[in-house]
Amino acid sequence: MFEKRTGKIGGDMDKTKTETQTKTEIKTEAEMNVVELATFYVGDALCGMNILQIQEINKLMMMTKVPQAPDFVLGILNLRGQIVTVIDLGKKLGMGETDMSLELRNVIVNSTGSSVGLLVKKIGDVVAVNLTNKEQPPANMSGIQGKFFTGVYKKENGLIGILDINKVLSMEE
Amino acid sequence: MNNQINDKREQAEQTNTDTSIRVQVSLLDSLMTLAGELVLSRNQLLQTIGSEDYHNVDAVGQRIDMITSELQEAIMLTRMQPIGNVFSKFPSVVRDLAKKLGKNVELEIIGKDVELDKTIIEAISDPLTHLIRNSVDHGIEMPSDRQEIGKPESGRVVLRAFHEAGQVVIEISDDGKGLDGDSLAAAAIGKGLLSVEQVQVMSEKEKVNLIFLPGFSTAQEVSDVSGRGVGMDVVKTNLDTLGGSIDIVSEINCRTTISIKLPLTLAIIPCQIIMTGDERYAIPQVNLEELLRIPAHQVKERIECVGNAEVVRLRGNLLPLIRLADVICIERTYFDPVDCEKKVDRRERISDRRGRVSQVSGSDDQGLQQAKTTGAKQSQPRLIDDRRHSPRSALNIVVVSTGSMRYGLIVDQLLDSEEIVIKPLGIHLQGCKGYAGATTMGDGRIALILDVSNLARMAELMPLDDTHRAAEVAATTEETLRMNNERQSLLVFRSSEEEQFGVNLDLVDRIEKINQSKIEELGGKRVMQYRGGSLPLICVDDVATVQSLADREDLLVIVFNYGSKTVGLLAIGPIDALEVNVDIDNVTLKQNGIQGSAIINGYTTMLVDVPELIDTIYPEWVDDSLEFLSEEQGTSFTPSSDAH
Repeated sequence: MFEKRTGKIGGDMDKTKTETQTKTEIKTEAEMNVVELATFYVGDALCGMNILQIQEINKLMMMTKVPQAPDFVLGILNLRGQIVTVIDLGKKLGMGETDMSLELRNVIVNSTGSSVGLLVKKIGDVVAVNLTNKEQPPANMSGIQGKFFTGVYKKENGLIGILDINKVLSMEE
Repeated sequence: MNNQINDKREQAEQTNTDTSIRVQVSLLDSLMTLAGELVLSRNQLLQTIGSEDYHNVDAVGQRIDMITSELQEAIMLTRMQPIGNVFSKFPSVVRDLAKKLGKNVELEIIGKDVELDKTIIEAISDPLTHLIRNSVDHGIEMPSDRQEIGKPESGRVVLRAFHEAGQVVIEISDDGKGLDGDSLAAAAIGKGLLSVEQVQVMSEKEKVNLIFLPGFSTAQEVSDVSGRGVGMDVVKTNLDTLGGSIDIVSEINCRTTISIKLPLTLAIIPCQIIMTGDERYAIPQVNLEELLRIPAHQVKERIECVGNAEVVRLRGNLLPLIRLADVICIERTYFDPVDCEKKVDRRERISDRRGRVSQVSGSDDQGLQQAKTTGAKQSQPRLIDDRRHSPRSALNIVVVSTGSMRYGLIVDQLLDSEEIVIKPLGIHLQGCKGYAGATTMGDGRIALILDVSNLARMAELMPLDDTHRAAEVAATTEETLRMNNERQSLLVFRSSEEEQFGVNLDLVDRIEKINQSKIEELGGKRVMQYRGGSLPLICVDDVATVQSLADREDLLVIVFNYGSKTVGLLAIGPIDALEVNVDIDNVTLKQNGIQGSAIINGYTTMLVDVPELIDTIYPEWVDDSLEFLSEEQGTSFTPSSDAH
């Protein structure tokens, strides 16, 4: 669903941009493919997501525990009347439980029709990357299986893995 | 971001093209006004808070409260749709079906304008179609048959909707052949859904309602119209999920009326809020039967263990119990009303008493050790009236019922009843079957809504019989059997210290207290002077092999009228007159003069057969006894008022 949506946005943008291009011819092809990534740490790995996929980033709020939920579900919380399921991203990706700290952040995304909060160890910068520089993900990145990534970007301070949020949140193991 | 929102809207439009809704402009206008009011109130509130003018907060709060409820009402109204939307398709359904079956059927529709929530309107369509088809197919007879019994040739089906007591009632009635309770009952027995005994005690109405049992069909052959035996059961299940109910009234060869009661709306439902562990949970009022609090001193009497299962006695019935904490696998806790805090429950069984000293933390070993040490420190003698009277041992039980069963849910605390808005849980929690959704509470936190039927399934609680109906039937059977098992009036006495006897109180004329010295032994028979004559005295041990009469100064004489003669039975106290219904065991202790035994008040009591006793001692009286027996069967003896 997400994929589709982002694809569409991309398409729309392409269209408008080609229109502007034909008129003004200011933007280069490289600039066109630039997307902004919100980055965060899951365990030691630096992961990123298209910033447009993220609804908001919150500090940890009071949660309601759900007995008998899967172990990676920390609970549910009330986000302005919306029920949000909070998931420990580290645990979901097989990195073990995320330790409680002040740097914890809750990344709220909309996936498959409902809101999900991804608990991450801490957040990093917003990084602009060029889509053409994307490389194939390795089989394993800092302990996270490669299948959860759509690609990897090389940056001065290391690698940013692009999380495939639908895959991460799908219930199939 | 804007792009995304637009995109979302686009998507929503794509998927929901067919779900647009007609709303009156006047309603939209009032919504607009209310929205304006809400904005004004918000400004007022912000201003009040900004200026720290807290006196005004109350007034503003009240205003917002009022606007919110009005707004809620108005928005609910936009969801209301006339039921005519569903009814409109039925004329053609009836016409087609009647043509196919070769019947003449008229359909009359009343109350098209009655409004119901959109979701209910959508969900009610299929069950209604089924019921209408049933009426035409099974209810209305063939025209020739109708003529024979003097009915107009064309049958009539009336579909009527109206408001009643805050609910909407939909009635489907036909003037067809009606439902024959007895043939339904016979079919139920034939399919093994009920036993003959169960059916015998059922009322006509109960028999007619058998049609809702799963797997039930009376149709001889399966057609494409009906007869698969799933229909009515599915209709009932569908209505149950909507929070509605269904009932049938039928008169043979005259009419059948099926009435469906439905709530006006589903989006906001009243719920009972309970607390277990540290979390609040909501139980829909639809499922709630009653709230039960068992005071500490009654816990031991009313909670029983059947195997591993715990049950509570509730008005003569046994109700299975489930601990909410166990089903959802959290630590057992209880709420201590004395200290007003949650504590860990360490009792194995509910009927165990809670210790005075509770270990709030620590593993079991530690807890025990702590218990020992603190127990040693506080080794003061326990007060007698202290046992099991502490309010902390009381139990809070929510009695809930679902389509198929009824059980008690043990919770820590019972809180308020509230109107809540149901919100669905995300996909990651779809696996948790115990919850029907979540809702936000007044303080902003979330409470989970419990799905009581799935909880029962998780606790592996099985309904005793196939369905709740069958269980109900079984209950009525039991009750009737108990009623049939006539209550007997018994006079209980003793002859020796150890053995208790009972006689039918109806046979007893009076009871006299005498001194042993008054007994005279003449001609091998014991007599005493009584009302100017001599009263023959007998003893149970004269005939039956039981312990002999106790050697006491003060004795009792139970006087029986035996035909024209009067006989006294020697006995000792304590005596008591009881109304009991007992199962008489007429095998184990049966002997000459004893007709059997029964357990009365914890004692095995031998029931004395007085006529047989007298016949054995005075065989010459046999002729009189016949008269006695006939009199016994005819009019019952009333014990005289001075029997005690």
